[in-house]
Formats: sequence, structure tokens, C-alpha cells
Amino acid sequence: MSKVNTNFSTDLKKYGSINFNECYNCGNCTAVCSLSTEESSFPREMVRYSILGLDKDIKSSLKPWLCYYCGECSETCPRVANPGELMMILRRWLITKYDWTGLSGVLFKSLTASIVAFALVAILVIIVGFFKQFNTEALLHLGHYFEMISIASVFLIILLPNIIRMWWFTIIKTKAKVNFLSYLKAIWDLIVHMFTQKRSLECEEENTFRWLEHFLIVIGYLLLLFITVFLDWFATESKIVLWSGYIVSALVFIITFDFVLDRIKKNKEINKFSHPSDWFFVIWLFLMAFSAFVVRVFIDAHLIDNNIWVYMVHIIILAQWAMLIVPFGKWTHFLYRSFAMYFDKLKMSQ
Amino acid sequence: MKKKIGVYICHCGNNISDYVDVEKVKDIIAAEDGVAIAKTTMFACADSAQNEIIQDIQDNNLDGLVIASCSPKLHLFTFRNVAERAGLNPYNYVQANIREQTSWAHSDNPKGATEKAIQLVKAALAKVKHSEALALQKIPAVNTVLVIGAGVAGMRSAIELADMGSKVHLIERTHFVGGRTSQWSKLFTTSETGEEIVSRLYYSVLEHDNITLYMGTEVVSNSGSVGNFEVELKKTPRYIDPDCKIEDDTEFENKLQKAIDICPVEVIDEFNFGLTKRKAIYKNFKSEFPECPAIDAANCTKCGDCEKVCDGIKLDQKEEYTTIKVGAIQLCTGFDPYEPKDGEFGYNEIDNVITLQQFKRLIELCPDKLIHKDKEIRNIAYIYCVGSRQVDGDNKYCSRYCCTSAIFTAIHVKDKYKNINNFHLNRGIRTYGKQEILYHQSSSQGDIYLQSFADSPPVVGKNGNTTSIIINDILTADKEIEVEADLVVLVTGMIPRKDNSIGNILKVPYGRDNFFNEIHPKLKPVETVIDGVFISGACQAPLNITETSKSTLSAASKANSLLKSGEIELEPTIAQVKSDICNWCDKCTLACPYDAISKIEHKGKQVAAIIEAKCKGCGMCLPVCPENAIDLIGFSDVEIETMIEALIE
Repeated sequence: MSKVNTNFSTDLKKYGSINFNECYNCGNCTAVCSLSTEESSFPREMVRYSILGLDKDIKSSLKPWLCYYCGECSETCPRVANPGELMMILRRWLITKYDWTGLSGVLFKSLTASIVAFALVAILVIIVGFFKQFNTEALLHLGHYFEMISIASVFLIILLPNIIRMWWFTIIKTKAKVNFLSYLKAIWDLIVHMFTQKRSLECEEENTFRWLEHFLIVIGYLLLLFITVFLDWFATESKIVLWSGYIVSALVFIITFDFVLDRIKKNKEINKFSHPSDWFFVIWLFLMAFSAFVVRVFIDAHLIDNNIWVYMVHIIILAQWAMLIVPFGKWTHFLYRSFAMYFDKLKMSQ
Repeated sequence: MKKKIGVYICHCGNNISDYVDVEKVKDIIAAEDGVAIAKTTMFACADSAQNEIIQDIQDNNLDGLVIASCSPKLHLFTFRNVAERAGLNPYNYVQANIREQTSWAHSDNPKGATEKAIQLVKAALAKVKHSEALALQKIPAVNTVLVIGAGVAGMRSAIELADMGSKVHLIERTHFVGGRTSQWSKLFTTSETGEEIVSRLYYSVLEHDNITLYMGTEVVSNSGSVGNFEVELKKTPRYIDPDCKIEDDTEFENKLQKAIDICPVEVIDEFNFGLTKRKAIYKNFKSEFPECPAIDAANCTKCGDCEKVCDGIKLDQKEEYTTIKVGAIQLCTGFDPYEPKDGEFGYNEIDNVITLQQFKRLIELCPDKLIHKDKEIRNIAYIYCVGSRQVDGDNKYCSRYCCTSAIFTAIHVKDKYKNINNFHLNRGIRTYGKQEILYHQSSSQGDIYLQSFADSPPVVGKNGNTTSIIINDILTADKEIEVEADLVVLVTGMIPRKDNSIGNILKVPYGRDNFFNEIHPKLKPVETVIDGVFISGACQAPLNITETSKSTLSAASKANSLLKSGEIELEPTIAQVKSDICNWCDKCTLACPYDAISKIEHKGKQVAAIIEAKCKGCGMCLPVCPENAIDLIGFSDVEIETMIEALIE
């Protein structure tokens, strides 16, 4: 038996400003959804759980991650209850539930808290820069060192425990019986979904271009990470590495620029609602790639020594990205969604 | 005996002629005795065919007419008109039904259908030969209407009737006008209050010279019939001097207030559905009409304390009986709310379970905070369809107004008080028409709707100090959902008035649901089988106030159009007693469903006599008469017997 909890929907509304209470349970959203199946149907069920405040059922569900937000349900909804955006809201909420630190909750719910956090990180970077007397050599070296440390620590301290929590809530707590072999067998699905998001192509809406853009951003972002961190782009002598860095960073900031434009234009269902976390994500991804590109241009033009502020700007953005958006922000959807596909596969294989 | 009869066999397009050989029917009938003309026609009801028949009647001086076509239900009056226009008495026309009874019924057997058609036409021919020319009876009628019940329906109707020129006696059993509507505050969908509507109607009623309003008055008996009812009224005293008026006399008003304060008798206040108590001298709310308080005769002990403080109180007033003569009666007696049984969803067992009607009064009694039994209410659960759409009980009907009323109330409550959560446990929301907007508004504001099937209703239980309701919510895939509520509101529907004695006095029939029944829901929606007795508002079926107004205006116009000429035309086809043969055995009076037979003196003996205005010509009295002393005009023995002979020939 589940108890109705009206506080839940009030709380949920802090994660996005739509009124899903408008829903009158016609089920059109589920009927039009190309990803919803008889065994695993959504989004109406999730709308219903949200209205009734059945948070335990939502926390143990993978369904919010199975939706790729094509927006067709929201377009079809006769009551403008925006089921598509609700699924997005639930993903935000789930991110905060998986996060053991509780910091995501604070950042998602409060724009003020987010701005303060971003400012604190910036101040921290400036203080470090001050102690290094804004020495170019020392800062570039430290920046590279920071990148490696932050990747390792964010993954080990925040993301890995959070994925284990997600597994705990969705597999263990739901008493799904999964044998060990299935974990190994399904691992390929995890990798494929993580790097391709191919399931989103099953959405009926015309979205191949959007998928391609998203795909290129993921690949571009990962390559940029690899090139800057492991191939040390800013210090490289190799022409191939140098030009690869230019290409992938340009690719990332050009496409993210298009994403930002879409969110401003609001001409597609998926862009109608933008939560601060969405803005932070696309803008910082753009700024990161763009500032990396500019830094490398300054290095190649031998201007960096006299313009260390360019690097300072880049490293501030990078620090904010690595310390806030990656562990506690929208970046995590990259992991959770692919793990959700993986866990779903495991549950289905019972 | 008619000797020059015209017979027309209709093709009805192909409806009849596809299966019945109409030419053969015509040829055989043409050879019958007394048939002057026999013809077939494509559509007897068509204008051209009607004109041809009229021409034939006039040219050949026909004295009888038979048309073999569809059911008389469809075209009896059409063809009677044809006869009349040709100068033939309409009762010398007989219709043979060879469509519904022949071609449609026997489409598998055209030969047999043709045989049957021939027999039916022969029977009609036999009847028309013995038919008599009859004239409508005309009786004088008084253009006065008795409207029973001064709620919204009664007052609205009285005003309309008075506007149209009828005199109106408007009687109200209680001492205040407004009925149920005065008990409700804000009303959907305009948010006007019940008091506002009632006071507007009341002032209009007072302004009209044509309306006489009787308070504390009910019907005790009725004699007479349409056009000339004689109704006996009983008036219960108000025990207040009728010359005393409250308006502009604050001194008198203060004295009355003192009388109320001093009254030692406290009884349950039905106006607030038992939520509060009142004195034996009472007034339900400040602007209630008529403005003087009333003393409730049933509960007053006549201690005399009030008389001592207020000289306008007259405890020696007596019941009065008067008889009035009216042409028509309109019933606007309204409804009672369904009273849940003890234990039905915890009613009368769990202290925070109340009905929607009580809840609406509770809201009026709580200006700032919603308090019930000393507890502030935040979470309200509404359980729908209580006493309506019952699976096991008798009330199979939907009460229509309750979904909208509950939702409107939920919106109102959320608006009026802080931190309210509404839970609607329903069986499918029916906010039809314009009311749908309220449903939308309510869910937009965060009201939660849960739905169950009729066979697994929600269960209300007490869990320590909290009341919780468990429902298998079909909107959540039948998941068992628990709702904790500070107050459970049972959305109770309408039932017929518990005291419906007026129906028995006037012999108005009840429908399946025990509300008063109309003749036909679409064609005669406010008429009853008792001529001159009309029904409107919630005494007929569950209706909201808008629908009540519509039905009451419809009944008003029917009553006025019946009486306005001062004369009523009645069908001549009624029973007739052969007084010489009758020996008064009383069997016919027992058989008559309309009270249309009286006992009179005839040549020194007691005999039965038909009250023409009451007789409907149903024929129930005929077969019970041991002397065969009753005949039905238009269906005389000779007519029926010759028809039978023709059929079995």
C-alpha cells in the first residue's frame, strides 16, 4: 500500500515549472510514445506517481531514463500537462536522489545556491592563481595536473558511489533477481548506449539530426577530454594532436552554440522549458570548448605569456565544470541514462 | 351503418408494397359491401395524396374513411385532419396498420403478409361502418394554478404564470421560502449565492398581484379534476401576528430576538443538517424570507416565555383549513438529500465523516478557519456517488448535480481557507456541459482524483487518531492507495422527498426511481397522466438549479396554455354508463385508475356515473362490469365485435 503525499508534487515543482496536476489520465501520452512498451509503459504512470507523491515507486523506477524526450507526448497532451517535461523533471529529481552528498539537490532546487557555488569555485581558482603569481608556466602545469586529479576523484568519490546507489534502489530494492552472468552479458549494451544513445533513434519524431548533433558532442567531448588530459594538448609538439584538438574543440563549441540557440528560440517541444541546470550545462560546455580553443590559439600565437587572463578564464570554467556540473549537475545524465539502459536490460533478462 | 366508404392502401414508398401486394388488397376490398372507392397511393401522408382524398370525399360524399398505412401512433391525427378538412367527422376515420403489423413484421412471408393486410383492412372497414360522429367535449376551466412548493422551482414558475395572466396560489409547507437553494451558499457556475437567488425570486413573487403566497401550508385533499380541482389546504400557524412586520421596526425585531434567546426548547437544526441546534422559535439566517421568525409547532411546548417578552407572538393561533378552486396543479416539491446508512463509509461511526450537504453548511458556519469537531481541517477526502448509482441498493440513477457540486465546493474551500488539500475518490467524473471547466480548474489547482470501480468502493477506517481511506485506484493500475483525511465528505445524491404524501393525494405516478413520473421523457416531459397536474424540478428527477428552472418554466407554460382560453377540450372517447342496467356493485370504481367514477342517484337507485373530465378512456372498467353496463365511446361492443368477426372470417 502506498500513501498519498501531496508535499511531493510541491517539492517536485522546484525542479521545473510545469503543472502536471492538469493531467486527467487519458493516457494519450503513453499511447503515442514510441519507446513505451506494454511491459514497461510510460509516461502516464510516472505522471500519476508524481501527482500522488509515490516517491518510493519513482525512486526505484528506471522509466524516467528510458525516455529520450522527443516531446511528442507533450504535443499530444490535451491538458497541457507536459508529460515529456515531467520526465525531465523526474530525471533531475533522481539525480539528486542518487547523489549521496545531497549537493545536487541544493544546486538543482536553488539558482542562488548554484550561482554562489560557481562564484566560490571561480574565487578559489583566482586565489590559487594569485599564489602562483599568475605565472604562465606554473599555471598551465597546475591546470593539467588538476584535470587529471579531478577526473579521478570525481569519478571515485562521487560518481561511482552514486551509480552503486542507483543500482541499489532500482535492482536490489525492487528484489529483481539478476544472476551474475547477465551483468557480463549486458555490458556491451552499456557501452553502446553510453556512446551512441541509439535508442533515441527509435523515437518517432523526426530527430536524426538532433541525434547526430548529440552524438558528435558526446564523441567530441570525450575526445577533447582525452586530447587535453592524456595527450596534453596545450603542451603538445605533435601536429596531429594539435590539429585534432582544434577540430574537436571547434566541433563541440559549434554544436553547443546551436543547442543554446535552440533553447533561446524554443521552437521545439524539448526546448520549451529550460531549467537553470540545462542552461549551465550547454553554456559551460560551449564556454569550455571555446575557451580551450582560444587558449591554444593564444599559445600558438605566443600571446599567452602576456595574456594569462585567457587561461585563467578557461581554467575557471573548467573548474566549475569539473567540480559542479560533472558531479552534481546535468552531466550525470550521461552515466545514469546508459546505466539505466543496462539495468533495464538486466531486469528484462530475468 | 356507413354505406359510402373510401379505402386507401398506402405503398409507403416500398416499405409496404415490397412485401404486401397492395393492388390485390385494393381489388379485394373494392368488392366489399359499402366500399365506394378503393385506391392505392404511393404516400398517403403526402400533400398531394391528402388533397386527392379530400377531393374524393367531397366529390362522392363519402361517409367513412379507411387508410391502410403505418401505425396510428404516427399518422392518426394527420388523417383525422384530412377527414375534418373534407367535412367528414374525424371519428369516422379508421386506420389499419399494415406496415408495423404486416410488411415489417412478415418480410419473410409476402404471401401471408398480403393475407393479413386484407384481414386488417376488412376489420377496419367493419369498425368504420359502425363508427359514430363524435365531438370533443368542452369543459369550463378556471385560469388559476396551484403551485406546490415555494423553492426555486415554485417561485420561478409562479412568477411566469402570473406574467402570463394566470392567477397563482403558491403554497409552502415550511415557514420560509427558498427550499434547498437557500441552504447553499455559492452556486456553480456563477458563484451567486443561494440567498441572493431566493431573495430575487421572493421580491418578484411579492410584487405580483396575481400570486397569493401561503406559508406553512400543505394540501390535505383534492376533489375535482382538470380545469376545476377543488383543493383543501391546511395552514399551520406561524404564531406571530401577521400584522407585525420586521422591516423598519427594530424595536419589534429586538423583541423577537429576545424571544429567541429566552426560548427554552432546543432542537436539532435541520437547516444545518444537524450540525447545530436551534430554538423552537427560529429563523435560519438573517435575510431569510418572510422576515419574521416562525415557531415550530411540532417542538414548541407553549411555555409562554416568548409571549411575555414579545407582544407580536400569538400562541393561541389555530390551524386553518381552506378550500381553493384551481384549473391546474404544479408540483415543485423538490428532493431530500440521501442520508447514508450508519456505517456506510463510516457515517455516524467515525466522527469526521459528514455529507456534502453538511459540509456546505459547515463552510458557512466557519468564516476564517475550517473547523470540525474542534479540529482544523486541511485534508479533505470526497467520496463520490454515495446513495447514487448503487450496485446493490435501489438508487440506480445518477444524481447529476453532485460531481459538479463537490468539485465546486472543493474549489471554494481551497479559495476560502489556507493549506487545503482535496482528494476526490470518484467513480468517473460527470461534470457535463459547461461544468467541465470546474473539473479542469480543480485539477489545475492540485486536487487529486482517485477512481475505483463500483464493485470495490473505497474503505474508510480509523487508524489511531487519523482517519484514512483505502482505495484500489484504477488510475494507478489498481494499486492500493491510502489517503489520510481530516474530514471525509460523502458526496450524497438526491432522493425523492421522504414525505411524498402529495403524490398520493393527487394520484401522480412514481417512476422506477420513486420520483414523480412524466408521461414521456422527450415529448411530454412535465405532464403527468393526471390531466392538469404538472411536475417540475427535483421532485421529478435529480436536477440542478439551472435544469430546475428550465423544467419549471416549461411546466408553467403548459399549465397556462391549458387554461388560458377558459375552456378545456377533452377526447370524446370515454366510458359511458347505461344507467338503466347498472346496479352499483362498486367493481368499476375499484378498477378505475383515475378516480373517474362516482355514485349517483338514477330513477331511485344507486348507479355509477363517469366523471367526464377525469376519464381517460382506458377501458379498465368495461370487463369488470357484471351487467355489461359500461360502453366505451368509439370502441363500442358492436364496433369491436364486427372487427373480430372480420378478422376471423
